[in-house]
Amino acid sequence: MGRRLAGTGGPACRAALALLLLCLLAACGGPAAEEAFNDTDVMFAQMGLAQITEGDRVAEIAGSGAVNPEIKAVATELRGQWRTESATLRGWLERWKRPVEADPSAGAHAGHGDLHSLREEDFAGLRALEGADFDRAAVALLLGNLHNAMETIRMEATAGSYPEAVGLATRMSEARQGQIGRLLALAAG
Amino acid sequence: MRRRFVLPALTVAAVGGSLFVAVSPASAHGYISSPPSRQANCASGAVSGCGDIVYEPQSVEQPKGSMQCNGGGSRFTVLNDDSKNWPAATVGASVTFNWVLTARHRTSTWEYFIGAKRVASFDDNGAQPGATKSHTVDLSGYRGRQTVLARWNVADTINAFYSCVDVNIGGGPTTPAPTPTVTVSPTPTPTPTPTPTNDPGATTWAAGTAYPVGTRVTFDGAAYQCRQAHTALTGWEPPHAAALWAAV
Repeated sequence: MGRRLAGTGGPACRAALALLLLCLLAACGGPAAEEAFNDTDVMFAQMGLAQITEGDRVAEIAGSGAVNPEIKAVATELRGQWRTESATLRGWLERWKRPVEADPSAGAHAGHGDLHSLREEDFAGLRALEGADFDRAAVALLLGNLHNAMETIRMEATAGSYPEAVGLATRMSEARQGQIGRLLALAAG
Repeated sequence: MRRRFVLPALTVAAVGGSLFVAVSPASAHGYISSPPSRQANCASGAVSGCGDIVYEPQSVEQPKGSMQCNGGGSRFTVLNDDSKNWPAATVGASVTFNWVLTARHRTSTWEYFIGAKRVASFDDNGAQPGATKSHTVDLSGYRGRQTVLARWNVADTINAFYSCVDVNIGGGPTTPAPTPTVTVSPTPTPTPTPTPTNDPGATTWAAGTAYPVGTRVTFDGAAYQCRQAHTALTGWEPPHAAALWAAV
């Protein structure tokens, strides 16, 4: 009986197995390399987007209000690079089917109570300043944002797995370090 | 905002707990950007050969109570190296120290030291700082090159953040000075250069002289040691050229 079952089931099983194997190969062969991302990559993209969003708000205010043209230059450069970077980060999250924010239920204003992010009153406070005080605060806020971003970027460069993301983090690290240097030179006056 | 990242952080920690040993995104908090602290001079590229501090000048965090520029411990020891050519910012008797903050921890005090003496302390009584922080400190009791150690004492951890700032107090402008001292005094002074410092090897500073590192000179009654080999020019008088001369 067993033999008969094996006899009739044999070919069917083999066919099923072959089909399964084919499916697995098809599934793993193509997209496998494509999907080699890890949680660090996802965190880099999500945190990167949040930090860029914050930084862009500071840079927008800094770019329009700064007395020192070098501050405007750095702010403009940052905004241009961030535009490209955020589009890339967004694209990856879509491809990876991961949310743009890690926990959307926390809401858009979850940052208010947090230590590492700016608050509405910080942006308002910056806008209210003038002249040298404005410039000094703008540089300090930009630096604070960039240092936080550098930690995320370097985390990705060290522990990320998606090659394109690691590559972007390396380029971002170089660009941000240069901008940090220029801002620190401004701070030193 | 960080709250939103708790989920992935935990996931990653669960997947590979060792990932964040080398990079801990939430560990950094602040440093003095102006006058530039030692870590600021590293991060800006003004001083080279600093190591990893260039990427995280805000991370000099150690238990409270240290009198070292790196806060003690084995990290960032380059900051303690006085033989490195740290630029000294020329400042007046009243100095405003500006901080860059990457996290606003509840704060007990902000302290400033020169040598072993605490020259200023600001008590925040556990309040959270704003997005920026500045303190104006009276250094009128000091002159010449000094290293100011600043400590940001966090209220809800055992740690403090450390920043050392090299300053040249009352040095006047460092760039081409309006020829400070070549004027000959009209009254016949019996001893033209009193040289109050009893430094046997020291000569009086003079423009046009080539000075190797370590040369000791006197200028305006104060003693200096050459930090960087150069040929002296008018305007590079020791009090005005902290990069070249250290007060001794």
